[in-house]
Amino acid sequence: MSAGGNDGTATRPADPTAEEEGPSQAGSSLPAVELPRKRKGDVEERSDTHVQQSLDFQMDDDLSRSEGEDQQVKMKCFREPHSQIEKRRRDKMNNLIDELAAMIPACQPMARKLDKLTVLRKAVQHLKTLKAGTSSAFTDTTYKPSILPHDDLRQLLLRAADGFLLVVSCDRAKILFTSESVSKILHFSRLELTGQSLFDFVHHKDINKVKEQLASSELYPRQRLIDAATGVQVQADSPVRPSHLTTGARRSFFCRMKHSRVAGKHEDKPSLLITSKKKDTYKYCTLHCTGYMRSWPSSQLDSEGDTEKETSNLTCLVTVCRLLPHTSHQPSKDVNVKPAEFVTRCAIDGKFTFVDQRATTVIGYLPQEILGTSCYEYFHQDDLQQLAEKHRQALRSKEKIETQCYKFKTKYGVYVSLQSQWFSFTNPWTKEVEFIVSLNRVISGPAHTKDEEAGSSKALQEDAKQIPIIPSLSSGVGTMIYAGSIGTQIANELIDTYSRMNSSPSSGAPSPFGPAQEKGPLVSPPTSRSASSREEAAGSSSQSHSDSGTAAGASSAASESTGEPSQLDFDSMVVPGLSSFSSDEAAMAVIMSLLETDVNMGQSGDFGDLHWPF
Amino acid sequence: MTADKEKRRAISREAARRRRRVESDVFGDLSRLLPLQPSVRAHLDKPSVIRLTLSYIRTHTLLKGRTGTKTEVSHAVKYAEVKEGGEDRPECDEEKETEEVEASDESNMYLRILEGFLMVLSTEGDMIFLSDNVSKYMGLTQTELMGHNIFEFTHPCDHEEIRSNLRLTAEEVWRGAKRDFVMRIKSALTHRGRSANLKSATWKVLHCQGRAKVCVGPSSVSCLLLTCQPLPLSHTLLSTHTFTSQHSMDMRFTHCDQRVTALLGYGPEELLGRSIYDLCHTLDTSCLTKNHLNLCLKTQSVSGQYRMLVKGGGYVWVESHSAVIPSVRPSKSRPGAHQPLCILCVTYVLSGVEQPSLQLSLDQTVHRYLR
Repeated sequence: MSAGGNDGTATRPADPTAEEEGPSQAGSSLPAVELPRKRKGDVEERSDTHVQQSLDFQMDDDLSRSEGEDQQVKMKCFREPHSQIEKRRRDKMNNLIDELAAMIPACQPMARKLDKLTVLRKAVQHLKTLKAGTSSAFTDTTYKPSILPHDDLRQLLLRAADGFLLVVSCDRAKILFTSESVSKILHFSRLELTGQSLFDFVHHKDINKVKEQLASSELYPRQRLIDAATGVQVQADSPVRPSHLTTGARRSFFCRMKHSRVAGKHEDKPSLLITSKKKDTYKYCTLHCTGYMRSWPSSQLDSEGDTEKETSNLTCLVTVCRLLPHTSHQPSKDVNVKPAEFVTRCAIDGKFTFVDQRATTVIGYLPQEILGTSCYEYFHQDDLQQLAEKHRQALRSKEKIETQCYKFKTKYGVYVSLQSQWFSFTNPWTKEVEFIVSLNRVISGPAHTKDEEAGSSKALQEDAKQIPIIPSLSSGVGTMIYAGSIGTQIANELIDTYSRMNSSPSSGAPSPFGPAQEKGPLVSPPTSRSASSREEAAGSSSQSHSDSGTAAGASSAASESTGEPSQLDFDSMVVPGLSSFSSDEAAMAVIMSLLETDVNMGQSGDFGDLHWPF
Repeated sequence: MTADKEKRRAISREAARRRRRVESDVFGDLSRLLPLQPSVRAHLDKPSVIRLTLSYIRTHTLLKGRTGTKTEVSHAVKYAEVKEGGEDRPECDEEKETEEVEASDESNMYLRILEGFLMVLSTEGDMIFLSDNVSKYMGLTQTELMGHNIFEFTHPCDHEEIRSNLRLTAEEVWRGAKRDFVMRIKSALTHRGRSANLKSATWKVLHCQGRAKVCVGPSSVSCLLLTCQPLPLSHTLLSTHTFTSQHSMDMRFTHCDQRVTALLGYGPEELLGRSIYDLCHTLDTSCLTKNHLNLCLKTQSVSGQYRMLVKGGGYVWVESHSAVIPSVRPSKSRPGAHQPLCILCVTYVLSGVEQPSLQLSLDQTVHRYLR
């Protein structure tokens, strides 16, 4: 509400000399500053608005300023030539007139633009016709007028709030009154509800909750308040203060209420609605009830008066019950889950921390059987490279990363084809990745799988010259330590990125091929921060010659790197027992370098120099 | 020559004065037709009169909705729409007046219970209508605000979100187009509740809920019907189905009250240091993220419903109301430990434990909870 310029001119409606009124905020006869009317989210005016907003904005009707003061203010705040101010005022008025013309049916068919006076006159006519349609009470001066007839206001309110008014007696929870809108929400008519006990309609498990809220007895246990200033809980240990019971004491709670099933109308019901397990086939909806306690003098009631001695008043709870918005909990647009899909959540090293129960029908395992294990243990070895790369991408990107089809080992040894969308969750406050959410979809069709196999083995042969195949054990669940380490290593990279960002020294990280680290093989990210960075692994692996465990598979792979390896060879390789694997670091480093897609590592020549530490 | 010029100037001045007088008269007529308090009416300036007229017309178009389009039938239409449930239409004026008074009481009651105000927004963000209790929350009266654009009064960082809520697709309308968001609005109220200058306005966090509505007509109006409630900073907790918790800014628990044990199975000490994201169903991650972002940016938020995993298996549906508590330094008046910036949540448990034997998360497999 700032002036077109920065003047503080008073409204002078009767002033014949003023061409245009100093725009002022309605209801005030004072110098006022008016914000330029924004059209369609007009951004250009922002800077002006800001300037103007900083000017004085008087709202107190009682204050009055003299003309002289106005002039002073005007001079003081003068930032633009007066003509500009005037122009802006005129433009604003013209815009308003245009808008008005657009809203009046009588003005619309006109080809040429109507002049201001005509538009105004037509507006007057239009308002008269509108008013003719409203009740006479509207124009009654003794009755407080409002922009909207109250009936309409009530309608608007209830439509916006998606709720209904409910008045319940506190002693017996009898429904005394509901508004008409209840039929839209609970699908019971007013008649069906009035006079009934509220508990007949409330979910049986919420009855106690509702009883608590209705209880107006002084024996009700302590009232707990949170002092927002300090966040400290304040417990009123003494019996509840009398004010708690009197009119105005607020209540706010959630409860589930029955609503009649209306066939076919609610197919998009969210899963929040649970069907009662009892023989009645009601569905429940969750309502947020807010309101306050109110006392009605019993003389107004027919036979509902309290017969208790203490009070002749009937206390009621008056609430507005709003249907909880369903959009907030519906699967968001990010994660749109369809059948034959399931969701999993992994820590950044790929270990499952959450598995949707739908997974069982697809992969055979119950959630608890795979929770805690690394997802890499279930990926087919052909896909490890691709997936590790995607894993790395997902950790670094805010986007959803789509994997290609890959094979996931089910409980029974058979592989199922999946395709997943991965996206990382970053804590809004710390900006660190906390976990990865994976939306997994089953890809059906045997032909597809075959192609995959052919494709992958071909790719394998090409890559084999450069990167040896990761060995895998063909039997047993959860014994693929190598594979599991992939995830850990990728996670560790990320952590190092964080620590580097936080400028903590990471160069002190020991070489993986140095003295064996005292760490367990499946170490979770937060505790393995000293793992080497990629660069170091790449660098040092070329130097290391020695010790730290063995992995015959890898070494034979390395020796075959210049040759023509085939997958079959690995099955016949001697795989060392797990106990001989003394350092996870070593394995990680190897695998890291295996997965390295840098060109530098790709030259076959380089591999000749590498001495695998196993 | 100059005398001629002078004369001409005098004539044109007189004509201009006449024009202005006529114009003022018409403005006066218009303002008298607006249902306003006489005291308010006297102080309206011309742009405001137009602004309020526009709002009035738009609101009426809105209410006519799909039924009537001609002003001649607006009378019948209005009553037809309003009288749902087949009640008899009162015929005489007296009855209408009683109706009106009753309706007034009821709507006042609603507004009071709601602890908020009603706002009708056009797709461009113009505040077509505001209930008159808006002054209680914003310090500005209904007539001062109606017709103005909401972008003038809200925090610039929230404008994008408001705009996306104003956008309406046909599909959404079909489905009911619900809206639920949090925004910051200027409030010219002082701590003591008195109106002050807009210059010294503070930001107030409002929780806006409602729906979009489309009215078909010659001038079809589509708009947002919203109830705007300031998020309370203090909660009166009466229920055993509610618990409070305190979190560091990354949403890890720093404190939790005892009631959580009965509701989720965890003891308060078990939760310390754990992230809320770990304890919730993965599909609700985005809901929680939105809540967290709202907290970081706007300092208050309402989460909507999400699922919290219960120790040992299963989950419950909950809704959290949270606020950021500014850091408290020990001072003379408030001695004690320094309290850093943190988040305070009041969580309402909405349902019982669903699927208690289902273990979805790693944590649930480790612990066993005996109910």
